[in-house]
Parts: sequence; structure tokens; C-alpha cells
Amino acid sequence: MSGQGRRILSSRSIFFVSIAILLAVGFFLPFERHKPAIHLPAAEVFNIAGFPISNSVIATWVTMAVLLVIGILVTRRMKLVPGRLQAAFEMLLGMCYGLCESIAGEKWGRKFFPIVVTIFLFVLFNAWLSLFPGFGSLEVFTGEHEVELLRGANTDINTPLAIALISFFCVEFFGLRAHGVRYLSEFFNFGPLFRSIGQIITGKVKSGLNGLVTGFILLFVGILELFSHFVRILSFTLRLFGNMTAGEILILIVVFLVPFTVVTVFYGLELFVGFIQALIFSILTLVFLTLATAHHGE
Amino acid sequence: MDPATMKLLAVGLAASLGLMGPALAIGLIGYSALQGLARNPEAGGRIQTAMILVTAFAEAIGIYALIIALILAFV
Repeated sequence: MSGQGRRILSSRSIFFVSIAILLAVGFFLPFERHKPAIHLPAAEVFNIAGFPISNSVIATWVTMAVLLVIGILVTRRMKLVPGRLQAAFEMLLGMCYGLCESIAGEKWGRKFFPIVVTIFLFVLFNAWLSLFPGFGSLEVFTGEHEVELLRGANTDINTPLAIALISFFCVEFFGLRAHGVRYLSEFFNFGPLFRSIGQIITGKVKSGLNGLVTGFILLFVGILELFSHFVRILSFTLRLFGNMTAGEILILIVVFLVPFTVVTVFYGLELFVGFIQALIFSILTLVFLTLATAHHGE
Repeated sequence: MDPATMKLLAVGLAASLGLMGPALAIGLIGYSALQGLARNPEAGGRIQTAMILVTAFAEAIGIYALIIALILAFV
């Protein structure tokens, strides 16, 4: 009993003492410490015929490559009776599909599933790959100064904007497909107004005047609805960009306050935040798609 | 006060004042979601989905304040 205790004690204590010594040496060695520099616009690495390729674009290529490789590896040898890898991914996708169907219903859930899951995986892998050790440490020399080769794609405002625009156009497309031109009458609701004007002209003044007020209110509500659709783009963009940038800055600051130890907690937090942001982006898209294709009460 | 001090003050105020409202909102959302869960545990999944959604809306407002603070601080 005592021998076992001593053995655990010795191996563990060696580990902790060595880490403590390393930390102490790190604190007191006269290394030159650079102040952490934070650049909000992504730096340009190279350009193709005047078209700038920034480091966040390269990071999205890395993300796409990783997703492609995972997809090819999983679906390379598909069997009717799945192996271990295939079974795991089938279960994951089944869970996603169940969630999608429970929100959008069976008919539309099948159509929205690819869009929603693509957005989810892309945002998730952008966030998680940028937490890999060494991701932001690679630097290249571009003529005048060194820039990072990779930078978390979500921390460049253009990537969230692009995904938000894709989500917006998908919502409008499916709304138009479900309701035809009548989808636009949700925004430009002139019908009740013209009907009441017609009533005034044909002599039913009293009910016409009542309808006039309602018509103006409905017109205004429609314009507000149109406005809210455009505000969604802004809120999607800023939510993802702000969360991811704040996470990167948080980790940077914590690393410089307490090296090595405390930052692990914040890495865990950032893993969670990345997952939640991906979930929110995809679920909100799904809910907006469902709202656009739902039957209007007319 | 010189402009640099003013800028630091503005960063701190933008972040702290702007995050007060969303913090309260998220607290209220969690409060009511937990109450709903305690009264009706079977509806857990649906309550959770709705809670995350509404939290995202509340959080977005905080993020706007945060972005203003970031832009003031680093651009």
C-alpha cells in the first residue's frame, strides 16, 4: 500500500516539479517579449493577378480540404452493414437529420438538410481547426513584412458575411419556390389598401375608411418584415465574427497573463463556443427557412 | 483628457454598458427555461432548442457592443 503510494507520488511529483521548474525558468529568462498584436482585417499573403488572397482564405481552403478528406475516408467503402467508422457517422448524421425534421417537417426537412448541415460543418471546422496548436504560428515573408500563413476563417468578417448571404438567398429562394409570387406580398402588402380605396370610390365610405387605416398598417408591417430580412444578414455576420474574434483575443490575452496553465480552460470554452456558434448559425437558418416556407394565414 | 485616455475610456464603457443588457436578458432566459423544465421535464428537448435560439438573439446585441469596443481598441 505504502509502496504503491510512493510510486505514484514519485512519478507524479517528478512531472509537476519539472513543469514548475519550466514555468519558473520561462518567467525569469530574459526573453524579449513581444506585445500581442491584433489585426482585425486579415493580412494579404499573395495575390493572383491583383486579386488578394488573405490568410483567412487559405484557412478556408484548409477547412474544405479537411472536410473533403473526412468525407472521402468515411464514404470510400460504404457497406449495407456499416463498419465502425461508417456507423458512427451514420449516427451523427441521423441525429442532425432528426433535429432538422423535427423543426422543418418531413417534406421540407429533407430539402433543407444539406444546406443546414453544410453551414454547420463549415462553421464548426473553421472554429475548431483554428484552435489547433501551431495554426497561427506559421508565418511567411511577403516582400515587406512577415504575416501569419493561417488565421481562423471566422475571425475575418468576410467569411461570416459570405455564409450569411448564402443563408439569406437560400431563405428567399425557398420562400419563392414554396409560395410563388405571393411570397412577395408578405413584404409589399398593397392588397388591403387598394381594396379599401376601391370601396371608398364605389360609395361604401365608412367601411372603406376603416379598411384604409388597416391597409396602411399592413403596408407598414410588410416593410418592417422586409427590413428584418436584411437585418438578419447583419446580425448573422456580426454574431459569428464577434464571438470568434473575441475568443481569439481572449486566448491571446490569457496566454500573456498566465502562460501554459490557465489557457487550457479557455481552450475548452472556445471548443464549446465554436460548437454553439455553428449550431446557432445552422438552426437559425433552418428556422428562417421554415418560416419562409410555412403557410401564411390568409 | 487627452484623446488616448478618452479612447481607452470609451472602449471600457462600450463593452461594460453594452454588455449589461444582454447579460440580464440571458439570465432571464435561463431563469424561465429552467422554470419551464422543472414544471414539464418531458418538453426538455424543445425548451432547450428554443432557449439556445433566443439566447442567440440576446447575445447578438452584446456582440454589437463588443465589436464597437474591438474596433475602437484595435483599428
